[in-house]
Amino acid sequence: MRMKKLYSVFKQGIIFDNPLLMLMIGLCSAIAVTTNVSNGIGMGLAMTFVLLFSEIIISIFRNLIPSMIRMPVFIIVIAAFTTIVDLMMKAYFPDLSKSMGVFIPLIVVNCIIMGRVEAFASKQNLPSAIADALGMGLGYTWVLIGLAAIRELLGNGTFAGIQVMPASYEPILFFILPPGGFFVFSLFISFNIWLKKKMEASARKKELVSKKEAA
Amino acid sequence: MKKTKLGLILMLYASIACASLAVVYAFTKDSIERQSEIQLQASLKDIFPQATAFDVVENLTSPEPNIKFETAYEVKSDNVPLGLAIKVSGPSYGGNATLLVGIDLHRSIAGVRIMALNDTPGLGMNASNPTYYVDKAKKVTFLGQFEGKFLTDPFEVKKDVAAITAATITSKSLTKLIKTAGDAAIAYMDQKVMMASMEDEKPTGETSIGASPAVSTGSPIGAPGASAGTAKESARPQAGGK
Repeated sequence: MRMKKLYSVFKQGIIFDNPLLMLMIGLCSAIAVTTNVSNGIGMGLAMTFVLLFSEIIISIFRNLIPSMIRMPVFIIVIAAFTTIVDLMMKAYFPDLSKSMGVFIPLIVVNCIIMGRVEAFASKQNLPSAIADALGMGLGYTWVLIGLAAIRELLGNGTFAGIQVMPASYEPILFFILPPGGFFVFSLFISFNIWLKKKMEASARKKELVSKKEAA
Repeated sequence: MKKTKLGLILMLYASIACASLAVVYAFTKDSIERQSEIQLQASLKDIFPQATAFDVVENLTSPEPNIKFETAYEVKSDNVPLGLAIKVSGPSYGGNATLLVGIDLHRSIAGVRIMALNDTPGLGMNASNPTYYVDKAKKVTFLGQFEGKFLTDPFEVKKDVAAITAATITSKSLTKLIKTAGDAAIAYMDQKVMMASMEDEKPTGETSIGASPAVSTGSPIGAPGASAGTAKESARPQAGGK
C-alpha cells in the first residue's frame, strides 16, 4: 500500500503534473538549453540532483524551519546544492560545464525547485519527498531531451553533436532560435494534454468495468 | 525577542550551508585549477607545437580599461623566440570571456583558443564548437579564421571576419579581444626590437622576443628562427588567400 502511494507520487511528475508541460514553471532555462541533446541531458541531471537533495533536506528539517523564515532557508539550501553541482561539474566534467555556461548557476532561481520544496517537501515525509523529486526530475529531463532532440535535428541536422541528416539538408535555423523552442514546446504541451485525457478516459473505463463486475 | 530567535535560526542554517560549501570548494579546488592549467598548457602547445618554453612576461598591460591581460608568455623553442601568447579576458555577450591569443613574429595571429566563455548554448557557444563552421565549404571555424590573419587587417565583423549566425555580439566582442591582444603584442615586440638594437653593442646573451627576421639574421641564435620565418613568409600569401 505504502509503495503504491509512493509510486503514484512518483508517477505524478512525469505526465499528470509534469513541471514543464502542466505546471508550466521553470520554462526559461528549458527553452534556452535545449539546443542540443547533451545539454538537455546535462541540465536534466543537474536539476534532478539539486531537486532531490533540496527536497530531502527540507523534508527532514520541515518541523525545525519556522514558517516565517521558510523562504530564505529554502533559498539557502537550494543555492548551496546548486553551487555544489556547479563546482563538481567544473572539476570533473569541464567540457559539459563549459557548454552549459551560465545555466547551471541559474538553477538557484528555477521555479520548479522552489515550487516543489514549498508545495510538497515542506509538508510531506521523507520517502514521499524523494519520490516526488525523482518523478519531477524525470518529468523535467524527458521533456528537455525530447525538445532538444527535435530542435537539434531540425535546426542543426545533428543528434548529440553527431551529424545524422544528409549533407544536402539545409538546417532550419528557426528551431534553434527561441521562437522555434516555443513552437516545439507548445506541440509537447498539446501532446501531453492529449495523453493525459486518454489515460484518464481509460482509467475511468477500468473503474466502470470493475464496478460492473462487483455488481 | 521572537525576531531575534528567527534571525539566529536563519544564521544557523546559513552557517551550515557555508560550512558544507567550504568543504566542497576545498575538495574540488585543486581539480578545477588543474583542469584550467591543463587546458592552458594544452592550448599553448596547440598554438605553438614547436615551442619548448613559455616565459611569463610581467609588464604587458591592456590599453583598454575593460579588457584585462591575465598572463602573457614569450614563446620560445630552444631559446629562439617564436612569438607571444596572451591570456586576455573582457566583456562578451554572457559576461566575461577569456581567450588565449597567440601572435607569431610575422605580425599575424598564430591561433586563438577559448579558455572560458559563458554564452547561449547553440548560439554564441558555437564559438567554442569545433564542428561549427563559419565557412562550411572550407571547414573553417569561427576562431580558425583568425589563424594566419595579419594584424594590419581591420578585424571588422561581417567584413573581413565572418560572424557566428545569430551571435553577432559574441562575434564582435571576441574579435575585439583578439585584436586588442594582437596589437599589444605587436607593440611589445617593436619595443623589444628597439631596445635590442640599442643594446646591440653590449652583448647580453639574451635573445629578444621581438627579433624580427631582418634584425636577428646577424645573431647566430636567431638564425634558425629567421630562416624558418622567411620560408614561412614566402609560403604565406598563397596559403592565406582571402
